[in-house]
Amino acid sequence: MAPGMNKMPRVHGGLLRVALVAALASSGGTPARAHHSFAMFDTARPITISGVVTAFEWTNPHVYIELDVAEGAKVTHWAIELGSPSILMRGGWKFNTLKKGDTITALVSPLRNGEPGSLLNRVTLADGRVLGNGGPAGIGPGTSTSTPPSQQR
Amino acid sequence: MICALAPDVVGQTTPRPSVAGVWVPFGAGRGADPAVAPPPAGPVALKPAYAKEYLAQRAADAEATKRGEPPPSAAMGCVPYGMPRMMAIASYPVEILETPGQITIITEAFSEVRRVFMDQPQLPMDEVPPGYYGHSVGRWQGDSLVVDTVGIKESVPGYQNTPHSDRMRITERLRLITPDVLHDQITIDDPVVLEKPIVYTLAYRRMPDYKMVEFVCDNNREYVDERGRVRMRLGR
Repeated sequence: MAPGMNKMPRVHGGLLRVALVAALASSGGTPARAHHSFAMFDTARPITISGVVTAFEWTNPHVYIELDVAEGAKVTHWAIELGSPSILMRGGWKFNTLKKGDTITALVSPLRNGEPGSLLNRVTLADGRVLGNGGPAGIGPGTSTSTPPSQQR
Repeated sequence: MICALAPDVVGQTTPRPSVAGVWVPFGAGRGADPAVAPPPAGPVALKPAYAKEYLAQRAADAEATKRGEPPPSAAMGCVPYGMPRMMAIASYPVEILETPGQITIITEAFSEVRRVFMDQPQLPMDEVPPGYYGHSVGRWQGDSLVVDTVGIKESVPGYQNTPHSDRMRITERLRLITPDVLHDQITIDDPVVLEKPIVYTLAYRRMPDYKMVEFVCDNNREYVDERGRVRMRLGR
């Protein structure tokens, strides 16, 4: 939605239709997002967390990493959301890339509400490999689709 | 790509293109080759009675997303997209199979399936049970596969989340732009909701040797809380 478009419903008749045309005419040929918006994650303030994998769920609509993160004596359990198996496979992931007990470091976008959930940006595996959150057209910061969500259909 | 010889008239065969294969959608944005990129979409012109509510909802959704509280959607609940949106979901591939009398379109996202019955007359709209994929008939017209679809139920979100009625008709023209680039020009006509038909084109690249991946939505952690906000379920 273009800036100022939230004022348009007050306009009537022909001008309203012109405004609507203007708002939507430039977004052709762009695939829709897959499952949901990522606006609940704070992608502008990524954080780094390190810990031990307690589960790796190779599932749809998303793959999840469950991670125990120790800060001194306190352990916080984090859930990390990834893309789907289809998207991740094209970015070098496999169903057995991670296993319980692996130690990893992940750059993630945390939930805005402060809960210990997040969206993966990239992860460094125990063997030093670095994987993103999907292929060139995957999801997540750094691998987002070429068109902003506001222009997606 | 010309790879089929189909009998048109008794004793004759005509080379016919084939759209069979696995295809991945791509947009008109960053790095797109202008020679094969989809042309800009045509305008969306809703009738005033629908435009007002649609614009208000669109503005409200944008504001909510800006606050970090994206509005829920059917797909977020793992409900399939249906037609026409299912034809391009992020970078999920689409497989097209050609068999005698039928073309089958399978999308990887949500494992949606469309069946296009070839060279048959379309059913009257009132005889098609409303559904996600409706009733599709197809025919070759020159180098284009023309597919006519009716019977999409009104609760299936339309193009750009626009509303539609049970009178909506979707006409697709699938054509190979190069042997490895496919365009699907989609025309949505709905005399109840639209001032004029919406026309847009989806573009796909061939994915040689790609094996489609299963997609069963059995671990959906997104949910809508009591305040209508999308949340991520934790604590597993």
